[in-house]
Amino acid sequence: MAYKYLWTPLQLGPVATRNRIVFSAHLTNYARNGLPTEQHAAYYAARAAGGAGLIITEEHSTHPTDWPYEKLIHGFHRDVIPGYKRITDAVHRHRVPIFAQINHNGGQASSMFSRLPVWAPSPVADPLFREVPKAVTHAEIDEIVAGYATVAEHCAEGGFDGIELQCSHSSIVRGFLSPATNKRTDEYGGSLTNRARLLLEIVAAVRGVIGNRLALGVRLCGDELIENGTTIDEAVEVSRLVEASGHVDYINTSIGVATASLFMIEASMHIPPGYAMFIPSAIRKAVDLPVVGVGRFKDPLQAERALAEGHCDLVGVVRGQIADPDFAAKARAGATDEIRLCLSCNQECVGRMGLNRWLGCIENPRTGREHEWAVTDHVALTAKPKDVMVVGAGPAGLQAAIAAARRGHRVTVYEKENVAGGQVRWAASVPNRAEFGDVIRNQLNECRRLGVAINFGTGVWPGLVDEKRPDHVIVATGAEPQRPWWVADPDADESARRVVDVRAILDGSAPLGGPQSGDSVVVVDEIGFHHATSVAELLADRGCAVEIATPGMVVGQDLGITLDMENWWIRASAKGIVQSTDLVPMGFADGELTLLHHPTGANQTRRPDWVVLAVPPSPVEWLYNDLKSSGVSVERVGDCVAPRRAHAAVVDGERAGSSI
Amino acid sequence: MRLAESLSIGACTAPSRMMFGPHVTNLGDDDRSFTDRHVAYYERRARGGCGIVVVEGASVHASDWPYERAPLADRCADGWKRIVSACQPHGSLVIASLDHAGGQGSSAYSQLPLWAPSRVPEVNTREVPKWMEEADVAAVVDGFGRAARSAVASGLDGVEINAGQHSLVRQFMSGLTNHRGDRWGADRLEFARDVIRVVRASVGSALVGLRLSCDELAPWAGITPEMAPGIAADLCSLGVDYVVVVRGAIFSSEKTRPDFHESTGFNIDVCRAVRAVVPASTAVFLQGSVVDAGQAEWAIGDGVCDGVEMTRAQIADADLMAKVRRGDVDRVRPCIRCNQTCQVRDARNPIVSCVGDPSSGHETRDPQWDVAASTSRRVLVVGAGPAGLEAARVAATRGHAVTVVESGVVGGVAAVAGPGGPLVEWLVRECERAGVQIRAGVASDEWSRLVPQHDAVIQATGSRRGDVDYTVVDGVAVHDIADVRRGVSALPNSGRVAIIDPIGGPIAVALAEQLGDRAVLITPDNIAGNELSRTGDLAPANVRLAQRGVTVEKRSVVRAVEPHADGASVRLQDRFSGELRTIVVAAVVDAGFRLPTEPLPVERVLSAGDCVAPRTLYEAVLEGRRAARAV
Repeated sequence: MAYKYLWTPLQLGPVATRNRIVFSAHLTNYARNGLPTEQHAAYYAARAAGGAGLIITEEHSTHPTDWPYEKLIHGFHRDVIPGYKRITDAVHRHRVPIFAQINHNGGQASSMFSRLPVWAPSPVADPLFREVPKAVTHAEIDEIVAGYATVAEHCAEGGFDGIELQCSHSSIVRGFLSPATNKRTDEYGGSLTNRARLLLEIVAAVRGVIGNRLALGVRLCGDELIENGTTIDEAVEVSRLVEASGHVDYINTSIGVATASLFMIEASMHIPPGYAMFIPSAIRKAVDLPVVGVGRFKDPLQAERALAEGHCDLVGVVRGQIADPDFAAKARAGATDEIRLCLSCNQECVGRMGLNRWLGCIENPRTGREHEWAVTDHVALTAKPKDVMVVGAGPAGLQAAIAAARRGHRVTVYEKENVAGGQVRWAASVPNRAEFGDVIRNQLNECRRLGVAINFGTGVWPGLVDEKRPDHVIVATGAEPQRPWWVADPDADESARRVVDVRAILDGSAPLGGPQSGDSVVVVDEIGFHHATSVAELLADRGCAVEIATPGMVVGQDLGITLDMENWWIRASAKGIVQSTDLVPMGFADGELTLLHHPTGANQTRRPDWVVLAVPPSPVEWLYNDLKSSGVSVERVGDCVAPRRAHAAVVDGERAGSSI
Repeated sequence: MRLAESLSIGACTAPSRMMFGPHVTNLGDDDRSFTDRHVAYYERRARGGCGIVVVEGASVHASDWPYERAPLADRCADGWKRIVSACQPHGSLVIASLDHAGGQGSSAYSQLPLWAPSRVPEVNTREVPKWMEEADVAAVVDGFGRAARSAVASGLDGVEINAGQHSLVRQFMSGLTNHRGDRWGADRLEFARDVIRVVRASVGSALVGLRLSCDELAPWAGITPEMAPGIAADLCSLGVDYVVVVRGAIFSSEKTRPDFHESTGFNIDVCRAVRAVVPASTAVFLQGSVVDAGQAEWAIGDGVCDGVEMTRAQIADADLMAKVRRGDVDRVRPCIRCNQTCQVRDARNPIVSCVGDPSSGHETRDPQWDVAASTSRRVLVVGAGPAGLEAARVAATRGHAVTVVESGVVGGVAAVAGPGGPLVEWLVRECERAGVQIRAGVASDEWSRLVPQHDAVIQATGSRRGDVDYTVVDGVAVHDIADVRRGVSALPNSGRVAIIDPIGGPIAVALAEQLGDRAVLITPDNIAGNELSRTGDLAPANVRLAQRGVTVEKRSVVRAVEPHADGASVRLQDRFSGELRTIVVAAVVDAGFRLPTEPLPVERVLSAGDCVAPRTLYEAVLEGRRAARAV
């Protein structure tokens, strides 16, 4: 496809971008002691090298009262400037402009780190942090405005090409703009003009210090998705006010409030791509300034289409470039198939942010480690290429093959099935989870590019290793379902044949569900992730009456980490799925499931037609043990070490393959 | 007092029998080494007379990175040296805790599989560990030896092997976590013995301590108090100089240093049994919510133990032993076992601190609060809650003449809700001792006449009831939970009581527990008491609520409270399905967010605590100090 718009340059005030792809602001937790680091510099530089048109950094705090999470950049300290220079120099080396996002999170914070009262327009507690903030006085408002100006000066001195004011999903400016959090009765509350006063004061102050040398952008929230919050009509009005100030060069957009409706800001694969397009679209109709659109842009064709249809002038691609720093360059070279597509799984990017961990990527082990790895795809070739046998074409085996082949080894993968993917293909076969399968598609593409041979339908036993005599074997044989101790032996108790693993549902080997079957099912969730919830949904869609029982305090506890919890609850409610907690399975015999309610010690029983198990599987380790004891050079990776999640498989594979 | 006497352990002598046990501080840096903040934190306790300082645990092998700021022994030599140099001049013994969290660790930082004896998933994250291969076992044992040598070479008096909470050594010892068929499973103590032997051989005459879980609180497979003495005797015979009796395991990590809901001294019986069987040359330390010097003294005198670990008590008052020596036991700032800020095994990496002494953990950053003021001034403190009392105490200590006026009762919300009562009493005693005039029941028109007679005014008037975001129809009363606690609002003696709790904090949960099956706790969250995870009380609180028959309305927001013949009807909405439902109750209590009281009409007033923004004891005490210093 010919791109008509994506590669067109655009002028943002004094700054020209070479294309329309923006690596827009997002948290990374790469800061140390409030300062930007080499990790930041290498991370942004990799995206600049990979062809991004514009980079906007994560937020820099404008005031000591603002410290909502540990690894925040304290822009208000002059000490940040050397780190800023390292970042901007590293990015400018690739002739890409870079803007700094500056912000005060306002009431969307706690005093845990600052040991100071949290500042906000009104004493309305944030729904996440649950700390009542201090309503700022006029003197404190002046201090806030001055803080933005100071940080803008630091950014200018640090070599940034522009400043973006985050007035959108986690900001004191949004706090003032929103009727949900601004209850003031002075000239900063009430009418929209009053609520926008702080924004316009900051805009004027920042423009005052940066002059016309730097671009200035404002990021606005188009719909807070909270009760009594700002919606699109008012956001459009604010855009007009921003444009009318004459100080601003572009408008960026977002949706949701980070501490209330984050699941719609960094939407997982359950939300359709482009879901927030109505926001830039409406704003662009009202103003002449260039407008940035965001919201799960996964591939360049979709980005092109958003531009072609006039929704926006620039497209924010964050997770897409977290997964593949060369997203833009590959698209531009016509190698769209080579792009390592983001899954929108949120497991290692978004999921690590809330846990105060550095940002990574489920399928790109180099994300966040660019300062340790080479910035480009070039890794030192080995002097002694070896024959490497990889057993298993799941994510661990494929990543091991990629890493080994990248170093120049001759790699052959053996997979006993006729398709690649291991458990991923089952994980991707449930409602709304198909994009998870892209991890395998991406790995297979990379294997192809690197000349990795894959033999499907070929199981490996020690005799084959003897015959092929590889120099090194990587075992990635995965894990298989196991029957827990509490389930009766199906040979002795026929009813236990109706206790099956989630995999038996997905591979079709368990014949339950079906139109009007009316089967009743209890899904036992001992993993706490998508396993139980996805299969429960699938079965409910097939007409089963489904209950999920878990020993935990919530079903699917880790869905919260990946921002899948809210939508899970909405879907589960609609599908009538019952969720029962604090229940430890104690036995299944004669068709009866016994569950111990552990807080009270009371037993409960169920007599469902089927019991479906979402429990940890058992590693397939015989081949590894066998080869190891016979002295073969062997390593194992992924679930055959310990059954974990896909990221662990990829990391294991990368480590094993690159260390041969 | 026996507690203040010296104690010979191996070739060393501890100047007192009080131990500051190993605990997570988050004072470490990104390189997993100790910092100046650690040095100052431990020096402060050594200066206060602590007999044995056991430093935060260090991982003995790179396979272990259980929390982000967990020290790594290979990088600790320099930090250990600095801690020793700072503490030993005060006479304290300084011991390194050697750790490997095994399957209770985290792969988030190392990006490596967890190592454990068997594939038992971590209880909270449910991560399945790798069962350790023979070479892995050897590597960890070797790591213990290497770390022990490094610790002793750094000048430490000895090392302590962690076989307590979060430990691989305990996981090998326990039937809960060791299902191995090889020699490490055939005799589950063999791994611990190997570790002790290697460590013993590595430290020469320096001390070898053992922190031993003597009750895993899982009798179906775990170590029980009946088994523990035998295990202790077996292991101590290998040359262990001291043993610390602790409890807890994979299902009960919050039970090792539990909050105030558990009794104090819960390990006394098992500790006595251990004392009875281990060699006389092995000193036995009691651990387990001992926060009171009197209980510690009794335990030593009664033959329960030779010494006592009092960790939280020394976070609350670093001068605990000094005060014991001076005979000022009643002046010890009490640990109220709230766990609000000292329990910091938390992904956010909060700094260890204390609600009663917020400068704990901030020794290098906070000023010396009690330096004498250059001029003595007359200070009026308005409000006798914790913020006002702390402001008064510190101001008086600095040499100011202080009067506290209070329109209601002394202690504020802290006196009627939560575990803060003993801290409030201590503040009152210390204020009185410092000559502070405290006048309760003083109306505002009365104290405002006092303003001109003072040089400075500190406002600490606390909070008031907050606005609600649901409709309250005329003719129905919604009680403020603070008023219920103060006894201002009386609840009916029968019938169900709806408690509306948008916060998920301890106060609503406590009222629900008290009302038992009469309580209907309404929360927007998936779990009752959502914010209790920080203190470790989240799971225990939910167990208590279930056992007492409390109804929890989860994922619910209140839309309206309307009059009803039987009391009130409460209209609830499910946050996700949108479904509306109505419950009928005898009374309704609101436990929502509070609002600050109005600023005093006084020029240049200093303010502290909830009147700035309604928060917790920690902020109240901290801001009380800051206000006193600003006078």
